[in-house]
Amino acid sequence: MRTSKWREPIFALLFLILAAGLIGVLSLAFRPVRTDYGAVWGPYLAEPEDSLDYLYLGSSYAYCDVDPTAVYDQSGLTGYVLAGPEQTLSQTYWYLREALETQTPSLVVLEGSALAFQEYQSYTQVNVGYMPFGLNRLGAVFTAAEPELRTGLLFPLYFYHSRWKELTAGEAASALLPTGTDAFKGFTPVSGVFEQIADGPFTRQPQPQAVYEENLSWLTRIAALCEKQGVAFALVLHPTYSQLPADTRTQIAADATALGVPFFDWTEESLSIGIRPTSHYYDPGHLNQEGAAIFSAWLGDFFTEELSLSPKHQSAENSAAWQNVV
Amino acid sequence: MSFLSPGFFLFFPVVALVWFLLSGTARRLWLLCASWWFLLCAGPEHLLSLLAATAVTYLGARFLDRFEGGRRKAVLGILLAALFGTLFLFKYLAFALGLLERVLTAAGLAFSSPALDLLLPAGLSFYLFMAAGYLIDVYRRDRPAETSFLDLALFLSCFPYLISGPIGRAGSLLPQFRRPAPFRWESFRRGLLRFLWGAFKKLVIADRLGILVSTVYAAPASFGRLQVMAAAVAFSVQIYCDFSAYSDMALGCAEVMGFQLMENFRTPYFSRSIGEFWRRWHISLSSWFRDYLYIPLGGSRKGRRRKYLNILIVFAVSGLWHGAALSFVVWGLLNGLYQVVGGVTQKSRDRIRHSLGLADDAPLTAVLQMALTFLLSTVAWVFFKGGSFTHSLSIFRAMLTGPWLTRPFSAWGLDLPELVVATLAVVLLLAVDLYSVHRGSPRQKFFTLPRPVRWVLSLALLLTVLIFGVYGTGYDPQDFIYFKF
Repeated sequence: MRTSKWREPIFALLFLILAAGLIGVLSLAFRPVRTDYGAVWGPYLAEPEDSLDYLYLGSSYAYCDVDPTAVYDQSGLTGYVLAGPEQTLSQTYWYLREALETQTPSLVVLEGSALAFQEYQSYTQVNVGYMPFGLNRLGAVFTAAEPELRTGLLFPLYFYHSRWKELTAGEAASALLPTGTDAFKGFTPVSGVFEQIADGPFTRQPQPQAVYEENLSWLTRIAALCEKQGVAFALVLHPTYSQLPADTRTQIAADATALGVPFFDWTEESLSIGIRPTSHYYDPGHLNQEGAAIFSAWLGDFFTEELSLSPKHQSAENSAAWQNVV
Repeated sequence: MSFLSPGFFLFFPVVALVWFLLSGTARRLWLLCASWWFLLCAGPEHLLSLLAATAVTYLGARFLDRFEGGRRKAVLGILLAALFGTLFLFKYLAFALGLLERVLTAAGLAFSSPALDLLLPAGLSFYLFMAAGYLIDVYRRDRPAETSFLDLALFLSCFPYLISGPIGRAGSLLPQFRRPAPFRWESFRRGLLRFLWGAFKKLVIADRLGILVSTVYAAPASFGRLQVMAAAVAFSVQIYCDFSAYSDMALGCAEVMGFQLMENFRTPYFSRSIGEFWRRWHISLSSWFRDYLYIPLGGSRKGRRRKYLNILIVFAVSGLWHGAALSFVVWGLLNGLYQVVGGVTQKSRDRIRHSLGLADDAPLTAVLQMALTFLLSTVAWVFFKGGSFTHSLSIFRAMLTGPWLTRPFSAWGLDLPELVVATLAVVLLLAVDLYSVHRGSPRQKFFTLPRPVRWVLSLALLLTVLIFGVYGTGYDPQDFIYFKF
């Protein structure tokens, strides 16, 4: 009996697909489950398609300070914070590309303190490692991750296979089962009050000019992507007691203007926003959840009044879901 | 570039694919360039050394072919001196100067050896031995001098065996380069399975046991006797799994590309004597020493005394080949001594065995002999791993003195789950090796199984390596032990 010349290649391909599938499943099962402090891609992708009015990008300043449910309560705007700890602008660029695959928001807001970050910060493994598999993740791996982390980012078992002793069936199941939406919409509330706030404000050291220029190039790419997608884009600095020097902020303002990006510097606006430094800061840089509620409500007004953002039509089901989480 | 580095998993598929797509000279040129690139990844100085050895070997063989008689011998001597002189320079000069310093100091003469920090080119011991073997073959007229520089360069450089062997022979490899086998699915599958089995032995067994061995050997006096003995046994398993894993991966890669390399291991721990052990362990090196050193020294043709002397010389040199340290020489000599003592006591041992009613081929005899062989090789491995003669002695001291057990399991580097994994993996290895001893090649049998069974077993092995392998974050991956030789 004559066998087809395609028989073996097809079987080889099937075996390869099966092996890759199993490795993929194992990679997900072994990766620790995370749904806060960034790493919120699963719940983000569970949001109904084209249901968000705005996306809020940035680092921990974004996910600690901005509570989308408070913004919604104030303005009716639906939004999501897609931000990771110490997330660099290069990572944010790939986040935005991925985020726009399922949503077409009217506005993208970027908390811009990452302009003063180093090329690589401390949390690449979380920020890139929890992105959905695909071209954007590959882009992030090769342009926004330390070379020594690339093996593990491409092949997560490299990072996590040693967890075989601690992994429980429950944890593996929750890692593999589809994620529901996040009631906090990417927001991570933190409790506590920073007692030494009276010693501030504190000044953050800016990066050397070459690093800043590199960050600026990623900001340019983010702005260009928004423009290409027809999405309004704004760069902001949050009210904080861990402040960039005034001349750095002046340079950021000038560069944003040159790029045609609206820039809002709220660094020293705590009091006018209604934030009481003695009770609304978790640490010099981040608002606690009471501070975040005040700031987010203020943001809701800012979006609707200053940026003329209006809520898009939502399905009854999604409206009810948002009402439930407020 | 290691076989288990991420780069290799990109390198190898591309090299193999293009190898099969090309034909003729272009094909061999591609493999040569790929092999040079493979070595270049370790640094340009490593490649320079290989290129120099290749040039000397190629031109030297052509030159050698022009002479007869004494002049032919002289040319061979010069060429071998050049090759082994290079090896001495990079690998042994510092050791020799250190030894000289100790001897002169002991004799009351002041001599301070200069601090040499020469880089040992990757694979040097392996390809220089291949080159020397080839030159001797040409000298003996066992084969003509190779006229194609490309083929000769490929013979010395081909990446599967370049870094850690097997030490190939020109007579076997050159014809395979000239007439490469076409792509065959069977070879492809068999090669990949062999590679995967090698990865299992290296990552799941060798590197896991290596953690235990390194922990205990670092401070043997702080562990109990049983733990130090267990570490010695673990090293015997570790080095077998480590080196035979490399050979499996080398042979697997070569098989995917249609080459057959020399088998390097044949279940050596099932040997019934140390002599047999060395016929089944690092076969390519043992057979090299047999053909190019032991037999030219006279082998067993010049009486028993000379035979025993030859054995001791060969094993002392073999020890030195493994490393420039006194402990390696002791390890080699000990293996030689085992064989000499074995030969001298052969008749009396036979008498004792017969008086106990044990037939030569009785299963119990075989088991006892295997156990004794394993024990003797394990004792010798202590010198190999010990790092220095004095530290090796301190390991033996820790086996014989002090408490039997001093610390809980986790203190010797592996906690209970890790030990369970190591034990299960060794049991699987033992089962496969036992099968190969009694029933023939397990791979042969494997490919007679129905495809679904093969897939399940292959995937299970793959996932076992990926989950339980010692690599990546959370572990301290270790190089192949034979890389440093």
